[in-house]
Amino acid sequence: MDRPVIRFLVFAAAFATAPLGAMAHQLIVFASVDCEDVTVEAKFSNGNAAREGEVRVMDGENTLLTTLSLQEDGTAIIPLETVDHASGLVIEVDTGSHDNYWLLTPDDIARNCRS
Amino acid sequence: MRRFGFALTAIYALTASGEALAQETPRVVTVNYALQYMAERLLDGDAEVVFPVPDDVDPSFWRPSIADISAIQSADLIVLNGAGFASWVDRVSLPRSKTVTTAAGLAERFIITETITHSHGDGGEHAHEGLAAYTWLDLTMAAAQAEAMADAITARDLAAPDGVAERLTDLLADFEQLDRDTRTRLANAQGVAMIATHPRYQYLARRYALDINALEWEAGAMPTPAQLDALDTLAAETGAGVIIWEAAPPPEAIAAAAERGLQSAVFPPLAQIAEPRDFVAAFSAGVDAISNAVDMTEDD
Repeated sequence: MDRPVIRFLVFAAAFATAPLGAMAHQLIVFASVDCEDVTVEAKFSNGNAAREGEVRVMDGENTLLTTLSLQEDGTAIIPLETVDHASGLVIEVDTGSHDNYWLLTPDDIARNCRS
Repeated sequence: MRRFGFALTAIYALTASGEALAQETPRVVTVNYALQYMAERLLDGDAEVVFPVPDDVDPSFWRPSIADISAIQSADLIVLNGAGFASWVDRVSLPRSKTVTTAAGLAERFIITETITHSHGDGGEHAHEGLAAYTWLDLTMAAAQAEAMADAITARDLAAPDGVAERLTDLLADFEQLDRDTRTRLANAQGVAMIATHPRYQYLARRYALDINALEWEAGAMPTPAQLDALDTLAAETGAGVIIWEAAPPPEAIAAAAERGLQSAVFPPLAQIAEPRDFVAAFSAGVDAISNAVDMTEDD
């Protein structure tokens, strides 16, 4: 199974199992990682992709590393070589009306690179 | 120099043995105090039980650091509540094999909360439903959560099965007794409208047939004039005689409620640790507080 498919299934599973309460009034942010990139995906709880928004990437001490914009399909790609990810990465997405985050630990990054 | 080398070796050996000991003790992480209490009762020292949320933070909305999540991911068992409790659990990767959602088997008993209507982007106005998350305030649901936790502890070999089974029996007996006592103590509250300062008590209200409407106030804080206006409105609509605070507010807040004819009761919902530092005792004290407040309304 290739990585995009794995990513889709993980995202779909997260969506399917997210409790109703957690989904209420929310932007859902998910980030997956392979050896090269972090892929950020942002959707509203009705399933629509967040077509505009700012993605803030911070390290484990919450120091801002970079910002980028969501693409029209609600995704953003962060090349790992462009950020210091040794202490993990905090991914925040802000659409203006909604915001949410995903945390990647150093283990998440290393584990997904090994697999 | 040789002595220095020995000292270094000794320090290393002590450190290494300490690490080995630390590694031998399983670690269980819980997302709220109620589950921490149950885990401590079930494990009785066989594992370290960690509730990582600081005392002054609402566990429903805690935002962990990456270091916190790294520590949680490395635990031997991660005990979640379910019903949407603790928003952070949907924002991190947790190892499925080490995770138990204690209320997962209770989905049919979840309470759907009010619909929130809003709009964003080009999606137009629409609505979402939420779930009441404080499931353990119905003690029969708390008991089911304890059973799910005991199964997970046993399945992962974190403690001897016989010991876990024995301690589960004791815990369930305590919950059953508390449930009976609560029914008795709150018999006087039937038909008495109450207002809670935060929507935490849906399962308590359903289990014990209480009439509780809720505001959205910050725990332990003095309400603002606008919030007091909202209290006036809700009290007039419901005819409430009791106000339930999730944490002790300033005396001025109690006085403001009393001026409006509302008797105050503090009932900590026990997502966070509360005095007395024992779930059963704290729950019981909260029940007594409500019952006493109801008695006071009858004296008015």
